[in-house]
Amino acid sequence: MGKVIVVTSGKGGVGKSTSTANLGTALAVLGKKVVVVDADVGLRNLDVIMGLESRVVYTSMDVLEGVCELEQALVKDRRTKDLYLLAASQRNNKSDIQPEQMKKLCLELKETHDYVLVDSPAGIEQGFQNAAAGADEALIVTTPEVAAVRDADRIIGLLQNMTISNLHLVINRLAPEMVKAGDMMEPTDVIDILSINLIGVIPEDKEILISTNRGMPSTYNHKSDAGHAYKRIAQRLEGKDVPIPEFKAGGLFGNWFGKLFNS
Amino acid sequence: MFKRLMQLLNREQKSKSVAKSRLQLILVQDRTGIDEEIMESLQAELTEVLSKYFILEREQVEVELEREQDSMALVASIPVLGTKVRHPIEV
Repeated sequence: MGKVIVVTSGKGGVGKSTSTANLGTALAVLGKKVVVVDADVGLRNLDVIMGLESRVVYTSMDVLEGVCELEQALVKDRRTKDLYLLAASQRNNKSDIQPEQMKKLCLELKETHDYVLVDSPAGIEQGFQNAAAGADEALIVTTPEVAAVRDADRIIGLLQNMTISNLHLVINRLAPEMVKAGDMMEPTDVIDILSINLIGVIPEDKEILISTNRGMPSTYNHKSDAGHAYKRIAQRLEGKDVPIPEFKAGGLFGNWFGKLFNS
Repeated sequence: MFKRLMQLLNREQKSKSVAKSRLQLILVQDRTGIDEEIMESLQAELTEVLSKYFILEREQVEVELEREQDSMALVASIPVLGTKVRHPIEV
């Protein structure tokens, strides 16, 4: 029996789908059986970020409506063994799916996969409620910005009310040179405010856009600092004690273990 | 309030520190659902009650919700000039 992790943020555009795609890939590269689920019904994009859009035939909606079997709706990623995508319907409405249905779907998926990563839509409405319904754990993605951290705080409160207790924070798009200049909150500042467990810090990285352009998650790109950061998070999810390196201005890791884990 | 104003006026302060202290204030309001207006009326009522017992420097009264480690505290600064009551008040 695997586990269901919802990837959520409250605010849009902070990197939920990018994080889902990269972590899913990184976990599969580690040899885990993974399915990434797009829960953003009506505005799907995980398929595009994964580069699998041309191979989507069925969606989660088709499974729920009995149009196809769950197995048939899973798109296999040919680049990595045991990595699958369950796409969201593009035509239906978010309110067409009920939390109970999503829960059942997640239960079924975790019977056959080690990780079920659910990419939540932005916001705190029905779409988010559905995405979180079947979750055992949550990854909260935020950027070191006032609006994103505020929304993350809201989401954390909602998840705690849903009794999802295992919450992990991902700080995305950290720009070391701005931190150095005193113009960006550091991970410790964000942790002070949100008081939840930090599982990883993703540095700002132009490679992310290039990867998205190509439909090839950065995890495959050995030149991508962000890709390496996602790989470290995957290891931490697997229970390995991998320290979070200190990102220094200039794009270099400042300390010895940073260099060690970046190599 | 005064402290916050000083922080905003202080040009030497880095924008990250401004971001952090603004967030801390915003989140107290978000988490409790208590906004500026409620705080003002709370302050007015508190001042009213306390005035029965003390002579207060009314313009200097400050009541704020502050976030500590894992909890929140209502912090009030109420300058007292003297007492009004020597005997128990008749209700």
